[in-house]
Amino acid sequence: MMGEMILRNLVHRPIRTFIGIIAIAVEVALVVLIVGLTSGILSETAKRVEGVGADIMLQPSSAGVIIGMSNSPMPVKIKNRLEQLQYIQSVAPVLLQFNSSGGVELVYGIDKSFDEVSGGFVFLQGRNLQEPDDMLLDDLAVQSKHVQVGQKLRLFNHDWNVVGIVEHGKGSRIFVPLSTLQELSGATDKASLFFIKCTRPEHTDDVIAQMKTVFPNYTIRAIREYVSLMTSTSVPGLNAFVDAMIGLAVCIGLLVIFLTMYTTVIERTRDIGVLKSLGANSPFIVRAVLYESAMLCAGGILAGIGLSYALRAGFLRAYPTLSILITPEWILRAAAIALFGAVLGASYPAWVASRKDAVEALTFD
Amino acid sequence: MAIAATIPSAQFQGLRPVDAQGLTKKIVEPILKTENLWKLYRAGKVEVPALRGVNFSVAPGESVAVMGPSGCGKSTLLYTIGGLASASRGTVLVDGNDLATMSDAERTKLRRSKIGFVFQRFNLLPTMTAKGNIAIAQYIHGDGFDPHRFDVVTKLLGLEGRLNHKPSEMSGGEQQRVAIARAIINEPKILLADEPTGNLDTKNSDIVLEMLRQLNKELGQTIVMITHNPEAVTYFDRVVHMRDGVIVDGIPAD
Repeated sequence: MMGEMILRNLVHRPIRTFIGIIAIAVEVALVVLIVGLTSGILSETAKRVEGVGADIMLQPSSAGVIIGMSNSPMPVKIKNRLEQLQYIQSVAPVLLQFNSSGGVELVYGIDKSFDEVSGGFVFLQGRNLQEPDDMLLDDLAVQSKHVQVGQKLRLFNHDWNVVGIVEHGKGSRIFVPLSTLQELSGATDKASLFFIKCTRPEHTDDVIAQMKTVFPNYTIRAIREYVSLMTSTSVPGLNAFVDAMIGLAVCIGLLVIFLTMYTTVIERTRDIGVLKSLGANSPFIVRAVLYESAMLCAGGILAGIGLSYALRAGFLRAYPTLSILITPEWILRAAAIALFGAVLGASYPAWVASRKDAVEALTFD
Repeated sequence: MAIAATIPSAQFQGLRPVDAQGLTKKIVEPILKTENLWKLYRAGKVEVPALRGVNFSVAPGESVAVMGPSGCGKSTLLYTIGGLASASRGTVLVDGNDLATMSDAERTKLRRSKIGFVFQRFNLLPTMTAKGNIAIAQYIHGDGFDPHRFDVVTKLLGLEGRLNHKPSEMSGGEQQRVAIARAIINEPKILLADEPTGNLDTKNSDIVLEMLRQLNKELGQTIVMITHNPEAVTYFDRVVHMRDGVIVDGIPAD
């Protein structure tokens, strides 16, 4: 009976109900998408690094978890010393360069040794890098940049010839010759990191131990360790940012629910008086308001889940290189956060409703 | 929807029966009694007395009309004996329970089980159908939906064909019949009516008054009704006049 009463109340004011549902939906979608975007990018970056096929990566001492952020490239000749170590099959120096024009992306400057470490690209079209101005793009970058093999692409104030399209998943989305990128970025004979392939994966720890003695001041990580580190907790400030965004989303939902339920309670003052005259006690009134808020929230959560997937589809269509990871865990968390905000937002109106004087409520106009 | 102005006695079958003797005037112990009842309202720093020592009693099965000019305290008296408002001083005994010493929660509990209200403005929940408006009272009462009782009451009040209509789709008379159904669905000891015909035309007023009269006569339903309508009092056993917060007499209507 209470369910029917609440449902009829919600239907009675469709615009207000709709706005409430949309507000909750936006809250849920904000949480799901912000978390999905951060974890999606991190997870996708980790997967791509893992997809290179190396076992170990060597970076400068100042390197963080996010590769490409270090401004102190290492000499390429380190490769020669690495190759002398036991159990090392191949070493690939890579120069990383951020491109921020038309979106943020990491360009890999590579040489032929990259193929030795990675086992080579899977070509969807075209050929491998041969000339200094050659460029490889992965299939998602091609969708994003709308270029084809044979066309030119301007990057770092340089015209590149797109010579091949490769399957995504091997480090970067854009690959250019190492030497050209070194020249363009003023880092001649330098590399940002080295991917190292061991003769057997089980030799990884032994190789790392050797490397640490030879290169004590460098950051040396097993790829599996790197992948496990690619979470928001390992990126300075990211968790705080995500928490702030979630907090903002909760505030939106809470305030809208508060306003919705407060105006509802004011509008239904007489009804509250009627319920009291019938013997409804304060807990009944509080329950009625909170249940109504929860029902509104449930509608908002469902709409929010739909909105999240719709927005993700829209974003991915517009920006194919984006990665938004929507997980059941975070959908549940977002729902719980929204419900918490809704109940919190409705608490004061519920309290106000329960405290209304029955006689005054019955004479309310 | 037109209904008969009188309700066939057969339709009362299934409702709470009258005591063995048919009428309840013989029972001495009042079901409702106030002694030196005061109700003070605060207007800023000033206390305004709405009731000033009201002594009033109603026997089980009795129907009493309370008359008086506007502002004399009739509604305050009704709300206080119904437990919606607390007494400032004095005693309010409802079926042996003193409302004046009860907390708001205790009064609410007592109201739920022993009192039914009918209001001038019907006060139906606008979003609910007639059926929902009646059933919500059963739900709040706590015994759940009793389809038999529901059928008997709605048939008694001629509402069978209007149950799926919302208040906005019903006439004033129909709305008031729904309100009466809601008030009696839980078999309250006392039915309190605050000018139930105040918003009705003459025809519907007569129907509602006749229904109240029959509820009293056939079921022994105790009724206290506030009215401005001099003709309405002829339907009641006794008329009480109020003025300036006190009862000035208590004359049997017939």
